[in-house]
Amino acid sequence: MPDRLTLPAGFGRFVAFLILVAVVAGAFALIEPRFLSSQNLSAVTRHMATNGLAALGLTLVVIVRKFDLSFAGTACFAAMTIGFLIANGYDLWVCILVGLAAGAAIGAINGIAISVFGLPDIVTTIATGSIAGGLAFLYSKGRTIFQNFMQSGIIDLNDARILGYSVSFFFLIAIYAVAWFLMHRTRYGASFQATGENPVSAYFSGVPTKLYTFLAFVICGMTSVLAVVLILAESGTADTNEGANLLMPAYAGVFLGAALLGGTSVLATLAGTFLITMLLDGFSLIGVPYYYSDGVVSAILLAGVVLFDQRVRMLFHDLSTFLLPASEPREKRP
Amino acid sequence: MTEVMTDTAARAPTERQGHSGMLSSFVGRYWLAVTLFLMIAVFAWLRPQILDPANIVTILRTSALMAIMVLGLTWLIAAGKIDVSFMHVAALGNMTAAWLLAGGSGWTIAALAGIAVGAVAGLVNGFLVAVLRLPPLIVTIATGGICASAAAALGKGTSVRIADPGILGELLYVSWGPIPLIAIVVAVVYALSWYAQEKLTFGHYIFATAQSEAAVNEAGISSRRLLLFLFVFSGLCSAIAGVLLAANLSSGQPMIGNSYFIDGLTAVLLGGMMIRVGKPNVIGTTTAILLLSVLVSGSAMLGWADYQRQIIKGLLLLLGVAVAMRASRSPSAHATGA
Repeated sequence: MPDRLTLPAGFGRFVAFLILVAVVAGAFALIEPRFLSSQNLSAVTRHMATNGLAALGLTLVVIVRKFDLSFAGTACFAAMTIGFLIANGYDLWVCILVGLAAGAAIGAINGIAISVFGLPDIVTTIATGSIAGGLAFLYSKGRTIFQNFMQSGIIDLNDARILGYSVSFFFLIAIYAVAWFLMHRTRYGASFQATGENPVSAYFSGVPTKLYTFLAFVICGMTSVLAVVLILAESGTADTNEGANLLMPAYAGVFLGAALLGGTSVLATLAGTFLITMLLDGFSLIGVPYYYSDGVVSAILLAGVVLFDQRVRMLFHDLSTFLLPASEPREKRP
Repeated sequence: MTEVMTDTAARAPTERQGHSGMLSSFVGRYWLAVTLFLMIAVFAWLRPQILDPANIVTILRTSALMAIMVLGLTWLIAAGKIDVSFMHVAALGNMTAAWLLAGGSGWTIAALAGIAVGAVAGLVNGFLVAVLRLPPLIVTIATGGICASAAAALGKGTSVRIADPGILGELLYVSWGPIPLIAIVVAVVYALSWYAQEKLTFGHYIFATAQSEAAVNEAGISSRRLLLFLFVFSGLCSAIAGVLLAANLSSGQPMIGNSYFIDGLTAVLLGGMMIRVGKPNVIGTTTAILLLSVLVSGSAMLGWADYQRQIIKGLLLLLGVAVAMRASRSPSAHATGA
């Protein structure tokens, strides 16, 4: 087979993804011309930054074949921590650093419980998420914190623009570029993948699998804090359920991306997040009531998982029977 | 990735039990029940009115509704799958019934429609997980989101008032002394479920499915059909609880699911820390539900805030998982396995 005719792996899927994006954007633009206005595109990119940051950490957790259901609670706790510090007049960077440390700490608790003590991931993260969500109430007994937000400069994070787009979007692109390089071009990333693919053989190949599982949870805690910082900047107040809306879009972003591009990866998550954010934003722009949005995201997630998963298996099946016609008896085919 | 509770029995070596082994086995098996009695004793000492017949009726009634909702979930998690859509299925059953009642239909139709919606949701979950072999967590997150959205859409985002709670509403408030009728019904249902789980091969296959679906298939039982049944059963249980809640609250509440998510999972998973350590079972679930209800009632009397209870529940869940894992690693744990 001539080498130069082969396209990069997943190229067809990437083209399919672009066509899907064009179709969705075209449909929204037909219904509501404002969809393509620079104002709306700027809003899409800002929301994408929020959803994308939360989904990035989850991507790593999913790559090591675990689930994290706690990051929404972690984000709520970090939001109130940051809000509390801002209200008490600390510098913004101190507030954000402490918030990140709080997120890392909860992630570390998850990571130690799951990787060192071997506790089941779903149960443990539901518990820690619930605890973190409860702890969010400690600072103000559940009241909204808004003092000093105007003067602290956090609002500027939302308003600052480069070339007409929010700074947060460029931050997202930068952090995804770093993540892509680390996850898909270095041996550290390969170790994450190996930990997920086959922890036993990864361990015997010299990968400290427990460390990588631990790191995935710590990073997941921290990226959810970054996401909630953007939410705080947009709303200008800190509320106890500030991070609750991160869960659905993050899961949808990771798994829709994986379904579209044929595997969990940093770029797949970016693609999935882009599509989900565009859809959510488009639906709210054309005036679909808020209570439909979760249903729409869920339906798309489900459709993506079902359709693409089936197709992968069919393709794989066809390919294997084509390449290995005589290697096994026909009736043993699945 | 799909296993929810770790397979504990397989890991424990079989050794002869010593005296301390018996003790740690007992603690491992019954600590939840002991905690329940200690908690009742402490609350009764601090606030004697928790033992008022009226309060006991309230505790038992809320426990009974919760118990109906998570009966199917218990077996699903025992079979190594998870269903995080159960509370939204309950909300959808609840809103379907309330919406039909508000539209003028009778209680029979409304209740049956609410329950049927739950069966459909369970069938969809079961088809996607058992037949198409998709990951249960992702599938049920998505179907749960759709159900929650549909429930909210039925009431256009707000609750639906029910003028007449009907005969179901009356039956829910029938009680003899401190025992409400619904608690007796649920006790009978749970006794039958216990029988099915412990004495019939059905129960063995549930626990075996968590260990190896291939082995269950080799034994001549279709694990696919078993899982499909369990998902439909879970949908039915949730929807029945949702319809009963509609009668109990005289309204359809689209957001009702959110308050049951943590509680339902905590009940099942804490329950899995008892008797069959590491495996959800109906007796454990009952004990854990009572524990949570007593905690809610007692802490309300002590004036604790909602978030404090949330932290305690989370800690309890974490502690329960840790204790169960520890117990399962001690040599005696094998005796508690199936």
